[in-house]
Amino acid sequence: MSECIVITSGKGGVGKTTTTANLGVALALQGATVAVVDADIGLRNLDVILGLENRIVYDLVHVIEGECRLKQALIRDKRVEGLFLLPAAQTRDKNAVTPGQMRELVQKLKAEFDYVLIDCPAGIEQGFKNAVTGADRAVIVTTPEVSAIRDADRIIGMVEAAELPEPTLIINRYRSKMVQRGDMMNKEDILEILAIPLLGMVPDHEEIIISANRGIPVSFNDESIVGEAYRRIGRRMAGEPDVPELDFSDGGGLWTTFKRWVGLQPAQEVAS
Amino acid sequence: MNEMKQLLSRIFRNAPQSKEDAKQRLKILLIHDQVDLTPAQLEAMQEEITAVIQKYVEIDRENTEVRLERGENRIALISSVPVRRVIERGAVPA
Repeated sequence: MSECIVITSGKGGVGKTTTTANLGVALALQGATVAVVDADIGLRNLDVILGLENRIVYDLVHVIEGECRLKQALIRDKRVEGLFLLPAAQTRDKNAVTPGQMRELVQKLKAEFDYVLIDCPAGIEQGFKNAVTGADRAVIVTTPEVSAIRDADRIIGMVEAAELPEPTLIINRYRSKMVQRGDMMNKEDILEILAIPLLGMVPDHEEIIISANRGIPVSFNDESIVGEAYRRIGRRMAGEPDVPELDFSDGGGLWTTFKRWVGLQPAQEVAS
Repeated sequence: MNEMKQLLSRIFRNAPQSKEDAKQRLKILLIHDQVDLTPAQLEAMQEEITAVIQKYVEIDRENTEVRLERGENRIALISSVPVRRVIERGAVPA
């Protein structure tokens, strides 16, 4: 059984691309075959987050316009068995693809892979419609901020209007210390407002930027708490809904804070 | 250092948590996004509603409240109007 999941958010900059890349890695590490598709035509970035930008020859628009075969455009990630990237075109715009063409492409991919993950562009225009049209379900990414949650609410409505099943939520950039002192909405606050089931939470962490610098998704790192958060989300997506949530509150104690003051503790932990 | 200062000021001055501001603003924002009614329109509606009520009863305008609230699958108009007294028993305004 094959499934196409669109990763969307409405607002830009909340971590859709990073989420898509890491969930692709997480699912492939579990032994699934996965195609991650960059639907952000004209502003591609999934290739960069995955560190595969130097291997692009053909892209999604080439496939749709029949200039190459699907297999020629798919880039194999050599770090894990079963993970492939279909990059977006960089020199075209969103109108280069129609929803009908996108649906056809997704059907072809679903015949070859267990999972097809679509990295949706920000916004609610043509690019969003193209990304959602072939999907079986949607995952909404948000951060604990007013603007991101507002847009997420709007997108949830549009996903329902597109007749997809109820989407699930990933809360990204969670800062335990800010939540503890009441300066950030917590999990319950956000779920109360958006009223959709939680798929998982990802802490805000320096490792995300470091892994983007290197082009190595953090899910490849066995020792990373962020990687573990993504791997757990991957397991929940693959039919283990009861995988427990991680506790991100480590390192927020007074002792750690004191050690950081006197320079004994590097500031390389979950951001406060 | 900053963290500690913030914490202490919270404890001693009982400063409100900013997440409550975020939550309240969001709740209002989402309702307005959904019903497409601006805060100015809502205020005008409140004025008109209270004007009508005032024809019949004397009300506490200071504590009158009209707001929209989001429930499971609907948006409700919630109005709280404290009544001081009935203006004139049996009278029907023109």
